[in-house]
Amino acid sequence: MPDPRQLLSAWPALAAALAAVALLLLGLWVAGGAPGEAAAAAWQGAFGSWRRLAITATEAVPLALCGLGAALAFRSGTLNIGLEGQCLAGMVAAIAVLVPLPPGPWACLAGLAAGALAGAAWCGVAVALERGRGVPLVLSTILLNTIAALLLGALVQGPLQAAGSAAPETAIVPEASRLAILATPLHLGALIAVLIAVASWLVQTRTVLGFELTVAGLNPETARFAGIPVAQRMLTAALGSGALAGLAGAIQVAGVTWFVSDGARSWGYAGIAVALLARLHPLGVLGAALFFAALEVGARTLERRMAVPHDVGVMVQGVAVAAVLLAGALSARRRR
Amino acid sequence: MLWLAGIHKRFGGAIALDGADLLVASGTVHGVLGENGAGKTTLMKVLYGLVRPDSGSMKLGGAELTPQSPRDATRLGIGMVHQHFTLVPTLSVRANCVLAAGTGLGRIDEAAWDQRIAALGERLHWHLNPEAIVGGLAVGQRQRVEIAKALLAAGIDADGSLAGRVLILDEPTAVLTPPEVEELLPALRRLAEAGTTILLVSHKLPEVLRVCDALTVFRRGRTVHAGPAADLDAERLALLMVGDEPRATITAGTARPDDDAPLRLDVAALSVPGSLHDLSFSVRAGEAVGIAGVDGNGQRELVRAILGLQPDASGRIDTPGLPAAQRLRGSGRIGVIPDDRQREALVLELPLSDNLALGDHRDPPLARHGWLFASAWRRHALALVERFGVRTPGVAVPAAALSGGNQQRAVAARALHRDPGLVVAVNPTRGLDIAASADVMARLAAARDRGGGVLLVHHDLDELLAVADRVLVLYGGRLIDSGWPACGRAAIGRLMLGLPPHA
Repeated sequence: MPDPRQLLSAWPALAAALAAVALLLLGLWVAGGAPGEAAAAAWQGAFGSWRRLAITATEAVPLALCGLGAALAFRSGTLNIGLEGQCLAGMVAAIAVLVPLPPGPWACLAGLAAGALAGAAWCGVAVALERGRGVPLVLSTILLNTIAALLLGALVQGPLQAAGSAAPETAIVPEASRLAILATPLHLGALIAVLIAVASWLVQTRTVLGFELTVAGLNPETARFAGIPVAQRMLTAALGSGALAGLAGAIQVAGVTWFVSDGARSWGYAGIAVALLARLHPLGVLGAALFFAALEVGARTLERRMAVPHDVGVMVQGVAVAAVLLAGALSARRRR
Repeated sequence: MLWLAGIHKRFGGAIALDGADLLVASGTVHGVLGENGAGKTTLMKVLYGLVRPDSGSMKLGGAELTPQSPRDATRLGIGMVHQHFTLVPTLSVRANCVLAAGTGLGRIDEAAWDQRIAALGERLHWHLNPEAIVGGLAVGQRQRVEIAKALLAAGIDADGSLAGRVLILDEPTAVLTPPEVEELLPALRRLAEAGTTILLVSHKLPEVLRVCDALTVFRRGRTVHAGPAADLDAERLALLMVGDEPRATITAGTARPDDDAPLRLDVAALSVPGSLHDLSFSVRAGEAVGIAGVDGNGQRELVRAILGLQPDASGRIDTPGLPAAQRLRGSGRIGVIPDDRQREALVLELPLSDNLALGDHRDPPLARHGWLFASAWRRHALALVERFGVRTPGVAVPAAALSGGNQQRAVAARALHRDPGLVVAVNPTRGLDIAASADVMARLAAARDRGGGVLLVHHDLDELLAVADRVLVLYGGRLIDSGWPACGRAAIGRLMLGLPPHA
């Protein structure tokens, strides 16, 4: 059933986002900058043309998918903070499938499926550690992030390295196996993300499974007394969130990068922040992902045009998430 | 002299203290007795400043006593040892004592503390090592640290005298092994000799009779007896605690069910390591079986085992016509009123309609093929609210918005609305006022009269006896058939306290 608080939850998130932007511009003004000009430049960069909008939307795709994964896990009380590692696992599996398979849409589909499976499996390792050895999921998932990053580094310099290449890079995905481009650089993955968000929202609000996940997350004891198999539901949530993160990585490979190289990404980490800003609402995740992406793209423009470090975008993201969490904590306290 | 007079306290509609009196001579060990819910713990919390009384007066050594907080009470020389440990396991004995005393900012004079701890240890004939890490100590030793901590916080004189101090001990022996109890009791006597006034809350009558100078017995928030311990024996005490006349008005099932009525629950040789030992009993259709007993004697494990939530249970639990996996789900499932409505029965953040649907939420008409029907949830909730008299501003408000009594009515509505073949209810009136209690108990009686089997696990003997056709007593993880109604309520009271049914 729709949670009545969710109807209201868009407001604090919007307010927090606007407040964060305003705070940054205020800081800029205090520092002697030109806030109006900066805002205009950032806006231009993120939304100034169809092309810029497509770039922003493309940035938002992996954030949205990782955010949906985080929202799914957190709503059911599963503290999967290893979306980054699961995303990397998805990238590795996708490239390992996409490159050797005969080019074509089926290869693309197989690549995405492999990415989702690998993400779920990587999270499954953490779940197995928790069930078998009592290792808290929070710890194992975050430590598995590092292991995934190192493993990826080893693989792109080893078995997955492109033949004849000196750089730590894989071979390139054949053109026929890539995700279709909707409007350069936006690819079919954006549509997949939107469909998954809508599906996730339907599952959460309209199905027995979604209701049981929510109950198990809010009060596992009550869930047990109501005959809800809590351990099973939490496994579903953990594997589902891992699969979404893995899919995010696979889509990025099949739609944007077309190969995998060594080096840092942070969609998994950012996805957690996106989910928190959206207060775990699947449709809100789309908006929050777009906001994060716009800040990223806008800040890059800002850096080019006005020599403002593009880290200011990350600052605004941080302030917005902190503000939403604070608002949530305060209202929880008032209710008590 | 410690004197509490006419203490009243209400929690919402529930009366916890109804004019309780307590008079304790300085430097004595005083037993505070009564059933669960009799008001002992609330009264002790009033004295310790944790609960503000609605009315009544308190005096300590002739001066008016109005502690506003535990810190306040500590300053006045009152210490309390709670039922559960309140120590920081990773810190040393000294650090725990310092922490409790709340010395504020500034340097801690470790040598002075060690001296104080040593002086107290000498006084009590205890060896207390200030350096020892609490987590590495045995339970009995932790208990000593707990007591030392409370006393040091309340202040100890330079000569080791504890005159004028009050120490409240809430069930201090509940966690101890018999040899540890043997060491604790003499120490309490020595403390009294040092001038401390000790209030000992306990269910264990032999201990109380051994160590206490005087006793006060509470029932339903009132003092029913006060006097020297020497005048009493266990039998008379048990009678005082449970009372001799039933007060509830619901009538027990007049017609005892036939022996050939179908079985609804059949338990054989049920054991749970460390809590239940070889339990066998059954519940038939149209019968209410009461499990009497002081909380903590295995009730929780028994109920969880029956519901399939206790993985380490062994033995046979048969719910005829209901596969084990379906005890809590499906249309024929057991109707459950769990012990703790906020932790085990409700999701406080979710709307009342969601809470009323829990358990039925996967079956028609609320759901079909895994999809929920919002309008059906609303209709279902409205129907239950109407039928069971749940007072609520609506069914879309979170369950947290309801009063305790109405939350419990909602839980009962969910458990009983389908006339389940078997109902398991645990302390179903905990924290409810008289009207809500009577309502919930009447619903249970009605479920029985409509042919359901009812297993009622309840700490309130009066309410239990008003509904139960048979009464089994759970004590120390073992089940004893009281023979009710052939036996008297006094016999049940004695069994609940681990005494033989007859003197």
